[in-house]
This record gives sequence, structure tokens and C-alpha cells, in this order.
Amino acid sequence: MPGNLLEMHHITKIFPGVKALDDVHFTLREGEIHAIAGENGAGKSTFIKVLAGVHQPEGGEIILDGEKVVMSDPIVAQKYGIAAIHQHAASYPDLSVAENIFIGHEFMTGPFINWKKANAEAKKLLESVGANINPKASVGSLSVAQQQLVEIAKALSQNARILIMDEPTAALSKQESEDLYNIARRLRDKGCAIILISHRFEDIFNLADRVTVFRDAKYVGTWDMEKDHVDSAMLVHNMVGHDIAAYYPERHPNIGEEVLRVEHLSRTGFFRDVSLSLRAGEIVGLTGLVGAGRTELAETVFGIAQASEGEVYMFGKKCTNSTPEQMMKMGLSLLPEDRHKQGLLLPWSICNNITLPVLEDMKKGAFLSTAKEKEVGDKYHKELRVRAPSSETLADTLSGGNQQKVVIAKQLAASSKIIILDEPTKGVDVGSKAQIYEIMAELASQGIAVLMISSEMPEVMNMSDRIYVMSEGHMTAEFDAKGLTQNQILAAAMPQERGN
Amino acid sequence: MEKKKGIKSLLTWEMLLVVLLIVLWAVFSLKDQSNIAAGQYKKAAFGLKQLIPGLQPYMLYGFMTLGMMMVLAMGDIDISVGATGALSASVLFVLYGKFTAGGMDAKLALALSIIAGLVTGTLCGTLNGVLITKFKELFAMIITLSTMLFFRGMCYLLLGGNTLVYKGDDVFNSIKVLSNNVKIAGIKFPVILFWFLGFAIVFYIILHHTTGGRKLFAVGTNAVTSRYSGIKVDRIKIIVFAVTGLMSAVTAIFYVASASSGSIRADAMEGYEMYAIAAAVLGGFSTDGGKGNVIGVIISMIIFGLLKKGLGTVFSLVDSTVNLSVGVVLILSVLLPNIVNDISKARKLKAQHDAIEKEHAQA
Repeated sequence: MPGNLLEMHHITKIFPGVKALDDVHFTLREGEIHAIAGENGAGKSTFIKVLAGVHQPEGGEIILDGEKVVMSDPIVAQKYGIAAIHQHAASYPDLSVAENIFIGHEFMTGPFINWKKANAEAKKLLESVGANINPKASVGSLSVAQQQLVEIAKALSQNARILIMDEPTAALSKQESEDLYNIARRLRDKGCAIILISHRFEDIFNLADRVTVFRDAKYVGTWDMEKDHVDSAMLVHNMVGHDIAAYYPERHPNIGEEVLRVEHLSRTGFFRDVSLSLRAGEIVGLTGLVGAGRTELAETVFGIAQASEGEVYMFGKKCTNSTPEQMMKMGLSLLPEDRHKQGLLLPWSICNNITLPVLEDMKKGAFLSTAKEKEVGDKYHKELRVRAPSSETLADTLSGGNQQKVVIAKQLAASSKIIILDEPTKGVDVGSKAQIYEIMAELASQGIAVLMISSEMPEVMNMSDRIYVMSEGHMTAEFDAKGLTQNQILAAAMPQERGN
Repeated sequence: MEKKKGIKSLLTWEMLLVVLLIVLWAVFSLKDQSNIAAGQYKKAAFGLKQLIPGLQPYMLYGFMTLGMMMVLAMGDIDISVGATGALSASVLFVLYGKFTAGGMDAKLALALSIIAGLVTGTLCGTLNGVLITKFKELFAMIITLSTMLFFRGMCYLLLGGNTLVYKGDDVFNSIKVLSNNVKIAGIKFPVILFWFLGFAIVFYIILHHTTGGRKLFAVGTNAVTSRYSGIKVDRIKIIVFAVTGLMSAVTAIFYVASASSGSIRADAMEGYEMYAIAAAVLGGFSTDGGKGNVIGVIISMIIFGLLKKGLGTVFSLVDSTVNLSVGVVLILSVLLPNIVNDISKARKLKAQHDAIEKEHAQA
């Protein structure tokens, strides 16, 4: 049995307001593909960044070839033979393939770069991964799959011994994924160790020799795929951890009239001919793979982006391509996917964040009334049980879950009747997650219509009354949540070769 | 807890500026005294009596600074303010000449051309705002650089290489009342100082006590979040740039009134944008946006006047050296908040670290 190439023990990483890794372990053998699985926010990407020298851990040690090493920055990690291939591959889209591959270690003839040699070597490397790509083409002009091959060639050019693949198939079609599997297997057989991070169980079951599961920044365990008979039920159980039944609130849906109807909506380049409807008091799940067009659909309905075709009706009134402020006035609000960049003003207090959408109601005469603001801020601070000393606490000092509660409070303060939640529990700890589910159930019971966009199967299946599935910009299925199995959803979510 | 909060509120940027003001004052006064003791001159050369009238030229670009600080608070920049002012002044001059030549009553002509100057400035600012919201891929720096060149070019088109002046025109020169001084308690107060403070108070109220001001800071902190919160980001940007243009035109009117001038050339008010940016940044409006207090800008205007007066009279430094010291103060004022920020961040992280260790120890 080959020895351990890499061992990482007791790795701890803290970010302001959140512990991203808490005493995590990982071992990697030579010539194996080792998958890391976990929900969003479990700490997978932080872990990879620690290994790649992007983040410095607050605690723990990294042992490479039996020797303790410090990955003080990405260049050091590169020297140790660690290379990462990311989901959105292109590093320098405007540079040529050869330039991308040899950036930082160009072939020199005197003070000049030897382009002839670089192009020839690039071609050789690309052929070794089975790619026929012109080394002079600009990387931005290649498909995502081709760009990934360029990244792999780049890793090989640096004699990488440990290859990190971060969601490598997230943007690939089925055939492209198959090709990538073959390349990964070939690299493994040549002695390269691969760390695979993927949301797709398909990737893990196809490729991995072993799997390590993280949950809420903690280490759960490592299993041998064959010997331990790992199956998806077991993976889900370990990733989610809790008894799923107790995790989700009991609901007695009281469904009313239709409040939102989307008809044949298209946005060129993102989604096509999408229809859906939403009724008062209903929680509807909208799921699919990353890149299926769900977020773009939500943004278009909310008015952040313009639809190219189709209509949106709210309470029976046509409101296609309204502005966000008009939509909010009519009672629809959107909890955006990225709460740091889109949801919050991080340097502002909880209170000032919550009143932002309703500033005009906070006036006393011509002026802004701090007393009125505090009243609203305190109300939601208490109601949503935001863990902070007061509503004056700054948003950037809160944990992910509590920040999310503040963003939800913004939608509530705006007295929305329709709320779209885009990945509401992304990067949120388990405790807050349960609270967010409770809040959602409470909103629905008050007659508010909730559209929940989520990639997490358990929450989609347990929270929704109805479920829509999108794949590659198309609405592929609508299910009643009762008696639905995960496989039915996955089948609809998988990219298929479509006629048009 | 209460006490801690009290101390914290004292440690604001504005308080630091007040401290800087007092320190500078003390240094200049001591040097002044020692100069007298050394027999260099007999009467005190530095004091309120000298300082307050000396603020006149600083108040001139103070109006522009009020506009600039809003643009900075929004995370943008406007380097066309000097050229906007020059174009407003040129329009004012040229129109007055045309009106009076056409036989219009001189007083009416003056009033109309002042209004035309203000409208010109506002239109220039609106153009900036529209371009910036239409071409989001371009930096405000580049767009206002282009409009700066464009406005300046318009000045040359209007005036050619000539200096336009209405010597002996009593009606036109009545505008000079704006650059008068009034004597209060034996000290000459420039009229422009009161105008500036008046405008500053209005801006203070708008920025810190209205929903519009709050939205402005929200856009500067994070325009994307603001948009998701239903704020009309583009509209706010256009309004802010338009008001900034208006304030440049206000500067232009006082420029025309200032005693030394009374004339206009196409290269008038060159470099004013730099003073405006400097004063706004020292006042606490960082170029990152989302930060700042109007009171800081008022204090920073006084600091600039104090520095120039003190270094010039007490230390008898020449103008170029004075500019050099202003540059140093500015660099420090940009660096200091960063340093303070880094320290507080490190402390925050350490506190969390300790909390986690404690948790571990308990477990």
C-alpha cells in the first residue's frame, strides 16, 4: 500500500465572524483520487485554499512526504507541486494558451521569451491530456472544458504532484464530464494524486478512491469508497449530520390564490422559455445544478436584469421588466445569493441595514428619524433572534447565519408579500439554518409566498410544497413534493443533449 | 459600557482633525512668539486677526469641495470641477457682454448671466452623471478627465486667448461685494466665509439627516446591495454630479468677485479640482466611498488656511514649500485611517481567536 503523500492535521482557520475550519484532518496517498464532500459552507474551499497557500491557518500542521511544511503563499505551494484547477478556469482570458500555461516560468533565450519553444511544449502538454488545442489561441475564445484542459496542462508543466480539482464538472455537459473523468484517471495512473471537490455525487462515485466529509467546518470522517460501501444515502447522512426530520419545522400549508406568474420568460444567453407560478402561503423550491440559470431567472423577475421575451404578472398585473424599486413597492423582494456583495452593507449596523429598503417610511417631516429606525431595527433584531448585543452592532461582525437573518429582516421590513430566497442557507451554520427554516415556515403561514432557490437537496425536499427543476436554462420539471425521490429531481437537473 | 462608547465617539476622524488644528495653532503661535523674542519683527504675525482674513482663497474652492465630498462618498471622483467652474465663469462673462451690448439694463444682464453661469455648471455636472451611469465600464476618473478637457476646450472657444474684463463697469463690478470683509470685534471676516458655512450647514443636514443623504452613503458603501434594496442608484448618481456642477458654478461666481480677479481667462481655476479632492480627503471622505462627515471638511478647510498662513508668515516659507507640506499632511491623512483600520481588524481577529481557544479549553 502506498504511503501518505500529504497529511494535514488539526487545521483551524478563522475569518472575521466565522470559524471556517475547525480542527480538520485530511490524508492523501500517492496515486489516489480523494474526494472532499460537504454542504455549502462546510469549509471545503477554505480547506483547499489553506493547502494552496492562499490562506494561512491559525492552527494545525501540513506534512508533505513526512516533513512538516508551511504553505506561506501560493508560490511556495506551487514549488511543493500543488496545483489547483478551478471551476471558472480561465486565469488570463486575453492571453494565449501557451502564455497561460507557462506564465511565471517562461522559456527564456537570454532576456527574451522563446515563444517557439513555449508553443511547441504547450502543444505536447495538451496532447498528453488528449486535447487538440492551438497553443496560440486566446484562452477566452475556448470552451470551458477546453479551458480546464489548459489549466491541467499548466499544472503538469509545473510538475504538479497534487492536483486540486474544484467543482470541475459544474459547467460541463455530460460528454465533457466523461472526457474529464478519463483524463483524471489517466493522471492518477501516472502517479498524480488528485483532490476532488464536487457537489455532484456522480463525480465522486465515478472517480474517487476515498472520500472525506466535512460538516460545518468540522471533520466528519474518511471512507474507502469500495471497502466501506459508500452510497449516496450514507454520504448525505454524513454531510447533513442531523436527523433530517427534526431539523425541519412541521408545516400545515394553507395555500391561497396565485400571486406571481412567469410566462415563457427568456433572457438571451441565460435561460429560455421559463414559466412558473407561485401562490400565497406556498413554499416553492427551485433547484438545479450550478449554472442552470436559476439566479438569473430570479434577477430578471426582480428587475435587476431585463427579460428578452415573455411576461411576469404579479397579483394579476403585468410587471415585466419593472425596476427593483417598483417590484418592491408592489410587494416582491429578493434575497440575493451573495449576502456580502448583494445583501448587506457590511460596515453598517444591523438597524441601518434593515431600514435601507424602507428609508422613506423612516421620515419625520423632511428628516430621517433615528428613533423610528431604531424601533424597526430593534423589532426585527428581537423577532428573528439575531445573535448580537444590540441592533447597533455592525453587520460584518456577525456570523454568516446571523447576517442572513438581517438580510431576511430587510425583506420583512419592506412588507413583501412575495419573497424570493436565493440559496438562503448557503454558508450558514446548522443552528441558524434550522432558524431560517422556521422563519420560512412562519412566513408561509402568514400567507407570504416563498420561492426558494437552492442546490441542497434535503432542504428542497423537506421545505417545499412544490418543486421546479431547471437545467441549462430550461425548466425541465415541476413536481409535487409529496412522495418525491431525490433521483427524480437529479434526473431532471442533469444536463442532456438537447435538440435545439 | 456607556463610558466606553463615550470615549469611542470622541475618537472620530473629526476629533483628530481638531487635535491637528490645535497642535498646528500651538506650533505657529510659539514660533511667532520666539520670532518676536528674537527681534525678527515686533508685532505678532500669527493670530486670529491674520488667519481669518487669510481663509478667503480657501473658501473659494470650499464650495467645490462640498460637491466633491458627495462624489467621493459615492465612491466616484470628479476631476472636471475646475474646468466646469471656468466654463460657468466664461459663460457669465461672455453673456453679460452680449446682453449689455444688446442694450439690456446692466443690472438685469448681470442677474441673467449669473443664472446662466449656474445653469451651465449644473448642466456640465448632469452630463458627467449621465455619462457615468450610461457607461458603467468606464471609471469616473476617465469620464471626468474627458469632460474636463471638453469643458476647458469650450472656454477657449468662448474666450480665445484673451483676458475678458469689464474695467470701470460699476454694475458688473458690484459683484465684488461678495469678496468684501466685515469687521466683527476688530477682526476682518471675509463675507465668503459666511456663504461657505451656510452652504456647509445645508449639506450637513442633507447628508446626515435626510433619506437622500443616507442613500448616497449606501450607494458609496455598496452600489449592488443598494440596487437590490430598491434604491435608484443611477438617479442618485446623476443628481449628485449635477449638484457638484452647480457648486463649481458657485465657486466660479465668487472667483469672478474675488478682488484680484474681476477678469476671466480660459485657463482660470486650473488645478482647483486637486485642492477640492485634497480638502475632502483630509476631511475624512475616502476615495473608497461610504465614509465622511461634513464637519470634517469644514475643519479641513480651516487647517489648509492655517497651514498656508502659518508656514508663509511665521516660518517665511515660499509657496512651493507650503504646497509640499500640504502634500505631506494629505498623505498622512490617507495613511492614518488605514493603519487604524488594520490595527482594529487584527484586534478583532485576535479576540475571536481567543474566544475559540477558550471554547477548546472548556471542551
